[in-house]
Amino acid sequence: MEKVCVLGAGSTKYGKLSESIADIATQASIGAIESAGINPKEIDASYIANVFGVADKQVHLGPVLMSRLGIPDKPSLSIESACGSGSVAFREAFANVAAGFYDCLIVTGVEKVTHTGTEWTTTYFAYCSDFFYEGQAGASFPGLFASMARAYLTEFDATEEDFARVAVKNHENGLLNPKAHMQKKITIEDVMNSAVVASPLKLFDCCPFSDGASSVILCSEKFAKEHNKDYIEVIGSGRGGSSAALQGREHLTTIPSTKIAVEKAYKMAGVTAKEIDFAEVHDCFTIAEIIDTEDLGFFEKGEGVVAVREGRTKLNSDISINPSGGLKSKGHPIGATGVGQVVEVFDQLTGKAGERTVKDAKIGLTHNFGATGASCAVHIFQSV
Amino acid sequence: MSVEEQLIENAKQGKLLTHKCTNCGYLHLSTAYYCLKCGSKGFEDVLLEGTGTIATYTIITVAPAGFEKYTPYAFVVMLLDNVELRISGFMPDIATPAELPVGTRAKITGFDERGIIIEKQ
Repeated sequence: MEKVCVLGAGSTKYGKLSESIADIATQASIGAIESAGINPKEIDASYIANVFGVADKQVHLGPVLMSRLGIPDKPSLSIESACGSGSVAFREAFANVAAGFYDCLIVTGVEKVTHTGTEWTTTYFAYCSDFFYEGQAGASFPGLFASMARAYLTEFDATEEDFARVAVKNHENGLLNPKAHMQKKITIEDVMNSAVVASPLKLFDCCPFSDGASSVILCSEKFAKEHNKDYIEVIGSGRGGSSAALQGREHLTTIPSTKIAVEKAYKMAGVTAKEIDFAEVHDCFTIAEIIDTEDLGFFEKGEGVVAVREGRTKLNSDISINPSGGLKSKGHPIGATGVGQVVEVFDQLTGKAGERTVKDAKIGLTHNFGATGASCAVHIFQSV
Repeated sequence: MSVEEQLIENAKQGKLLTHKCTNCGYLHLSTAYYCLKCGSKGFEDVLLEGTGTIATYTIITVAPAGFEKYTPYAFVVMLLDNVELRISGFMPDIATPAELPVGTRAKITGFDERGIIIEKQ
């Protein structure tokens, strides 16, 4: 297997954007190409992560993007895996470079949904559930994670204030990220007093609906060395799956796909959870970050909430969780999110993260899933 | 009739259609076509009483399109009586967590545009 490197990374700001989906995908891609210092003609193929292109009147986005980048002859593949689309596209690109099929690929994730309004965005997202059992019965995505939150409150010594601490922490980190959607300091009281969306989750327990795009250049080690730019190495990659509906899972407070994916990624990388300096995890809701940090092996089951309460997941504490601000503060343009996590790791490990830099970090992990964790991908990166 | 249609017709009678693996005996919801445990394809239909206890739930105030007129309502996951199997559904007219402690007894009462309907017993 070839060594795979990330040679460049770019993102738009996340938030409510006025440009078209094709425009924002192009901006992020140009950012990645410029960062890598390559000519677009060196790109062999592209992987595009997107879920709701139809909402902005553009599907089959790959050829549109390739045309704008001056390489309409290069093949592209669009990948949909709900909120995990970005990391799944990254994984497919990784596998193709690792196998030696390609030397240089671009992976671009993009989403444009905010113009559809809260009701329709909520509705579209519900289509990512096991619709016969969940969406059809009125379950929203906040509702499904709220069901996991209720189970966690029932099973472990946790409170709604504990969940709020995740939001407060991630907003603190997001304040240091100029591309974050929600650049706003909040308090536990702000979270507790925000409107209930799906009990026990309140508005500030939920990530925002965001527009945005992120892009990275993946390549072989040989290609990276020839280009005289900072790059990082992908040392682990794992994927996993879970029952599509919550009802089919053995435990309601753990996400099986995360455990399967991370075990494979740790094994490939030859590292353990203890060696991870920081992680970008899928905190679509506050409860999700707590469950993620347990499933990824950073804390024992039921201890993730204690770690948050004790501030052990803050920037430059025991393990920095979501230094970018996470989905909660940085935002969640669902097709872009998994790629955006890689952009953050690239920035962190190449000294471009500014005030939110995780000190002396060498190894970073990304964790991104689709829906309630029905699909998941985990990647581990190392500075070079 | 498709498997989903059969499940719906039984839910309208307050019952839950399930599939029991004829090879290993593992019980599934009837939308399973291969056994989760052994991979076999042979199933026998087992019709369960749609009764159980609430395993977890949420009360939804910001609803997807078509559900605004029902808010607040609960989306529930129910553990069925006497088996290791859960089913989720729509529970009408629940406004506060105090009305629905985890463990509350409940039953399937129908199926309509709100999916499988589950009500407190």
